[in-house]
Amino acid sequence: MFSFQTIFDNLPVLIGAARYTLLISVLGCAQGLLVGAVVCAGALSRRVWLRRAAALYVSFFRGVPLLIQLLVAFYLLPVIGINVPALVAAVLTVGLCAAAYLSEVLRGALNAIPRGQAEAAAAIGMAPRDLWLRILLPQALKIGLPAIINELILLVKASSLVTVVGIVEITRMSQSIASATYRPLEIYLAAAFLYLAINLVIAQAGRLLERRLAY
Amino acid sequence: MTTLSSSPAAASMRKVNKYYGTFHALRDVDLDIPPGKVTCLIGPSGSGKSTLLRCLNFLEDYDSGEVRIDDQLIGYETPGGRRMSARRLREMRRDIGMVFQQFNLWPHMTALQNVAEGLERVRGFSRPEAEVRAREALAKVGLADKEANHPSRLSGGQQQRVAIARAIAMQPRIMLFDEPTSALDPELVGEVLGVMKQLASEGMTMVVVTHEMGFAAHVADRVVFMERGEIVAVGSPREVFHDAADPRLQSFLQGYRERNSLEF
Repeated sequence: MFSFQTIFDNLPVLIGAARYTLLISVLGCAQGLLVGAVVCAGALSRRVWLRRAAALYVSFFRGVPLLIQLLVAFYLLPVIGINVPALVAAVLTVGLCAAAYLSEVLRGALNAIPRGQAEAAAAIGMAPRDLWLRILLPQALKIGLPAIINELILLVKASSLVTVVGIVEITRMSQSIASATYRPLEIYLAAAFLYLAINLVIAQAGRLLERRLAY
Repeated sequence: MTTLSSSPAAASMRKVNKYYGTFHALRDVDLDIPPGKVTCLIGPSGSGKSTLLRCLNFLEDYDSGEVRIDDQLIGYETPGGRRMSARRLREMRRDIGMVFQQFNLWPHMTALQNVAEGLERVRGFSRPEAEVRAREALAKVGLADKEANHPSRLSGGQQQRVAIARAIAMQPRIMLFDEPTSALDPELVGEVLGVMKQLASEGMTMVVVTHEMGFAAHVADRVVFMERGEIVAVGSPREVFHDAADPRLQSFLQGYRERNSLEF
C-alpha cells in the first residue's frame, strides 16, 4: 500500500534538510562566479603563465569527479593543518569546482562582446577597472545567464554528493528516513519532488531575471 | 600645395611608419592637422587612412616617427623611446574624441547612460552633473527625446549621433571620425553628416576618414589623399578634386565618378 501519510509526516524534516541543499548550491554558485571571474581573467591574460595556470585549474576541477574532490578536501585539509567544519569544506569545494565551469561560461560570454566596445571605452580614456565593472562584466553576466542558471541547477543536484563528508541534506535525510520507516518509495519520491520544486523555482527566477536584463 | 594655417598644428605626424608583420601600412607619413579645421582623409580601401587616424589616439601603435597632439608626443615617453604609462595615455585620450564606423555604443546602457558614463567615470562629474551635460550633448545632435532608448531601439543614424554626443560631451580638443557613415543605410547618411557639418561650423578640429566625396568637397578645409600607406596629395578640396596632377589620385577620382554616375 502506498502511504501518503508517510510523505506528509516526513515532509517537514525533508524541507529542513533542503536548507543545506540550498546553502551549498547557492553559496557554491556565488563563490564559483567570483573565483570563476578570476580564473577567466587569467585565461584571457596577456601573460603566458597566467593562461597556463587558468587552464590547469579548469582541467583539474572539471576533470576530477566532484565526489573525489570532496573526499580529497575532507581528508587533506586536516593533514595540512586546516580544521574547518565539514559544511565549510563542502561549500568551498563545490565552489571551486563550479568556478571551473563558470570561468568557461564567462570566457565565452566575454568573447561574444564585440571588440569595438572596449575600444570605445579606451578612446575616451576609461580605466581598465571601469571597463570591466561597467562595460564588460554586466554584459557577460547577461549573455551567460542561461548557462549560469544551468550550472546552479546542476549544483542543486550535485549537492547530494556532500553526504560523503557527513552533511545531512535532502538525499542523506531521505536515506535515513527510508531505512527507519521502511517506506523507501514514498520517501524518495518526496525527495524527487522537492528537488524538482527547487529547480523549477530557480529556472523561473532565471527567466524573470533574463527578461529584466533584456535591452 | 598650400598651407592653410600658420598657427601651430592641433596634431602632427613626422616620419610615421607602421607595419603589420611585413605589411608596410604607413610609410614615412608627415601630416599637420590645422586647428579649427576639417581634414578629410580619402583613398582606396587598404591605403592606410584608418590606420593613420587610429595612430592619432594610439589605438594603433606606430613603429617609428612621432605623433603629437597639441605638441605632446602620444604613445611614447620620447621619440623612439619607452611606451608612455597607461595612465598618461588615458589622460591624453580624454581630450581626443573618436567616432567609429560601427558606432560601438554600449548596448546595455540607454543613450543617456552611454553619454554620461565617460563624464562620470573619466571626467569625474557627479551623476546629476554628468546627466545634465549628457542631455546637452544629446540635444545638440537632435536626440533629446531619445535619451531613455537603448541602442537596439535606435536607427543606425541615431546610434551614430549618440556616439558623436558621447565624444563631444567629453569636450575634446580634436575629433576623429573613422568612416562614420559607411555602416549606414544611404537614407540615414544625411543626418549624421548634418551633425558633423554643424560641429565643423562651430570650429571643432576634425579629422575624418570618409568615402563621402561630397562631404569632403563641401565641408573639408583640406583633403588628404592616401595610397599604399603614403600621403600622395594634400590640399584644399578644389586643389585635390579639380586640379589633381598625380596619376594615382586621378585614377582614384575617375573610378569614384564612374561608380557614382547615374548611367543606367
